[in-house]
Amino acid sequence: MDKLNVLVCDDDKAIVDALEIYLKQENYGVVRAYNGKQALKALSEQQIHLILLDVMMPELDGLSATIKIREEQNIPIIILSAKSEDTDKIAGLNFGADDYVTKPFSPLELMARVKSQMRRYTTLGSMPQKSSVLKTGSLELDEEAKELRVDGEIIRLTATEYGIMLFLMENMGHVFSIDQIYEKVWNEPLYSAENTVAVHIRRIREKIEINPREPKYLKVVWGIGYKIERY
Amino acid sequence: MDIRSKDIRYAAGTKIAAVVLVWICFVSAVWSLGFLFLNQEVDKSNSYYDSYRFKDEFSRLIHNTVEANIKLKSIENINASGGTVGDKARNIERYHNIKSRMSNTVNYLYYINNSSTGEAITNVAASQPKELIKKQPVNASISRWNWESKVDIYTYGGEIEEMLRGTEYEVYAAIQEPLKPGDVFYDDFKAYSRTKEIIAFAYPVMFVSLILLIIVAAYLSCVTGRRERGGEIVLSGVDNIYTDVHTLLVLIAAALSLTIAVSSSEPNDILTWVIPLLVLGVDGLIGISYVLSMIRQAKAGRIFKNTLIYNLAKLCFDKNSFKPSIILFLLGYGLINGILFDIGVDLNQGDQEPVFTILLIVFNTAAVYFTARALTSLSKIMNAAKEISSGNLDYELNSSEISVAFSGMATNIANIQGGLKKAVEEAIKGERMKTDLITNVSHDLKTPLTSIISYVDLLKNEELNNERAEEYVNILEEKGARMKQLVEDLVEASKASSGNLPVNAEKVDLHELVLQACGEYEEKITEAELDLRINAEEKNIFVYADGKQMWRIIENLLLNAIKYSMPQSRMYINLTSDSNYGSFTVKNISALPLDIPPEQLTERFVRGDVSRTTEGSGLGLSIAQSLTALQGGKFKIEIDGDLFKVSVDIPLWAE
Repeated sequence: MDKLNVLVCDDDKAIVDALEIYLKQENYGVVRAYNGKQALKALSEQQIHLILLDVMMPELDGLSATIKIREEQNIPIIILSAKSEDTDKIAGLNFGADDYVTKPFSPLELMARVKSQMRRYTTLGSMPQKSSVLKTGSLELDEEAKELRVDGEIIRLTATEYGIMLFLMENMGHVFSIDQIYEKVWNEPLYSAENTVAVHIRRIREKIEINPREPKYLKVVWGIGYKIERY
Repeated sequence: MDIRSKDIRYAAGTKIAAVVLVWICFVSAVWSLGFLFLNQEVDKSNSYYDSYRFKDEFSRLIHNTVEANIKLKSIENINASGGTVGDKARNIERYHNIKSRMSNTVNYLYYINNSSTGEAITNVAASQPKELIKKQPVNASISRWNWESKVDIYTYGGEIEEMLRGTEYEVYAAIQEPLKPGDVFYDDFKAYSRTKEIIAFAYPVMFVSLILLIIVAAYLSCVTGRRERGGEIVLSGVDNIYTDVHTLLVLIAAALSLTIAVSSSEPNDILTWVIPLLVLGVDGLIGISYVLSMIRQAKAGRIFKNTLIYNLAKLCFDKNSFKPSIILFLLGYGLINGILFDIGVDLNQGDQEPVFTILLIVFNTAAVYFTARALTSLSKIMNAAKEISSGNLDYELNSSEISVAFSGMATNIANIQGGLKKAVEEAIKGERMKTDLITNVSHDLKTPLTSIISYVDLLKNEELNNERAEEYVNILEEKGARMKQLVEDLVEASKASSGNLPVNAEKVDLHELVLQACGEYEEKITEAELDLRINAEEKNIFVYADGKQMWRIIENLLLNAIKYSMPQSRMYINLTSDSNYGSFTVKNISALPLDIPPEQLTERFVRGDVSRTTEGSGLGLSIAQSLTALQGGKFKIEIDGDLFKVSVDIPLWAE
């Protein structure tokens, strides 16, 4: 199998250099570009499996480049941007990006995201779908095997954690309060002000999310409850 | 010397003395003038016997003498004469009256002689009455043939002549000289003599008074209102009275005094002189004060400007207070009403069609309608002003609904509104520019920071084989992380405080939120060796808030408590609610003494420890406060010794 190629596109050469080092450590091939136009050119010339794209660049900015790329190709695009507002993130994702990472990012987190996207792009889709599997994005819960997988990797969960995940994934997209989750999973009503459920959910997030503070699957709806996002 | 004389001339004492002098001169001049005028008859006559009073009295007595002794004679004679009973009674009464009057005279002498019968009647006791009478300086001898008198007796001359016609009587009458006390002649003579004496005195008094009056008045008119030669005109209290009102008052006072003077003209009474003199004195004072006031105001050039009429006109026609048109409208309204009312009343008396009464009603209804419309406009303007003052700068005042009388006001209010709006917009714009600037700067900081963090991480993974180098790399990593936090917090703080964050408010359960938040920080709380206690009165407290922002608030408070609490102490979160707010309170014991006022803690970049060495940006409490305010809540910090207490009140969810 050929090396998987990652196109790194940022007008800051130092960042491109650093990313190249990290990517090469993970055994990816690296193609460099310093603006949107160069990125498009590289795409047309070489086989690229994932793109890391800065937003604010000369010549052609990242968002416009995303739109252009999406006209032809379906490869994963992770946007790197100094803009950290929700509106910027939503815009980026709406234009067709698969992920949005704000600068300054932690290199390890970024690598985890790259790996996640790459796995999804290269391996998923070919997997046979079982009826006993609950699935959202690349999060899968196999009721038969009693397993939780993220990007194909099995996550080790305690019985309670598995119970919580099972309940939430059976009702994907629904928001449940701490009370409801406790009653359902522990099978007894919650009397005192306890944050047991919250602690468990935090631990699950640390296991399944790349950045537990900005979860992709197990989301906190503040003051209302928790839910599993449907993708 | 010159200066001293100047001082004296303009001194208040001198002026007061001059006023008193003028007053005295005025009173005496008027008094003497009046006295001379009233007694001009006495003044003109040469002696008492020349006076009208004497002549009148004397000729009446002669008339009486002739009537009683020649015409009526006696009561028997009257009864014997032909004529009605009434005539007789009248004549008898008259006869008695005359007799009694005659008996009251002492100085009147008479002698009647009938030349044909020799009959003689007299009141003279002497043997030769006729000769005695003739010897008196004032005497008269009258018969049908002869008319001889030392004084003019024409007052009753005609009637006397009538009674003597066809008779043979000769009448001799005289006033004895010298006069003896006991009758009207003596009294009159005494009064006449006294008046004559006073007249002789009154002339010089009058002249002197007039001359003094003119001189002193001239002096006063020069110095009044001035403190020094050519100095500023100083007006006194009296001058504040409108000049026309003042004039009117003085005229009324003068008219009143005249009435008093005229009504009390009972002769020979002490009050006759005292009252007019008093009135004159008071009038004199009023007059002097008035004249001086007028002179002062004339000097100040405000005699016309200080009239009530002028001021009223100014008020009416001054554009700033009233439009002249409104005055004209009011006058026209009154005039038309008056005319219609008059005509209506006149016609109704003649039992005619009450057309004008109907017109009157219609006219007034129309007037009330237009006034009401104008008042509605006013209330609209007031309402607009209220809206604007309460902050609704987009409130539109429909100028087409405003009556002409208030259109100017409406325009002005609209201008104020526009100005305010502009100011507010500019303030918002300025605040937004500030936020934008901070955001842009932070973007520019983030790019190099990305490299720093990445390369520090790469360096960390290198085999350095050098303990010190590894320590330095660790410091770099820590500071890089801190800088990242700072930059992020800075943007958030600037957005929160400028209200530049969208608030997606929904029904949020504070209880759930607190449990979730505590779940997130469970490990950190345990790590900090804190014992967290959550106390909730009720299970659900629903507030109207943005859950994400609520999380940021409580997160900042928890981080703050974790960072600064004394290890192995308890930390409390209390949940309460009242009728309007749901609240949570975070209480912890500070590890370090807190010696700053609570309000300073929420100021940006202020932290409990002045050294700023620990992690954190110092923006946490400031962000929490701004976010609370953004959601219509109340944020309060209390410090009691080492007890640090933050309470956040959020408006309750209303169904």
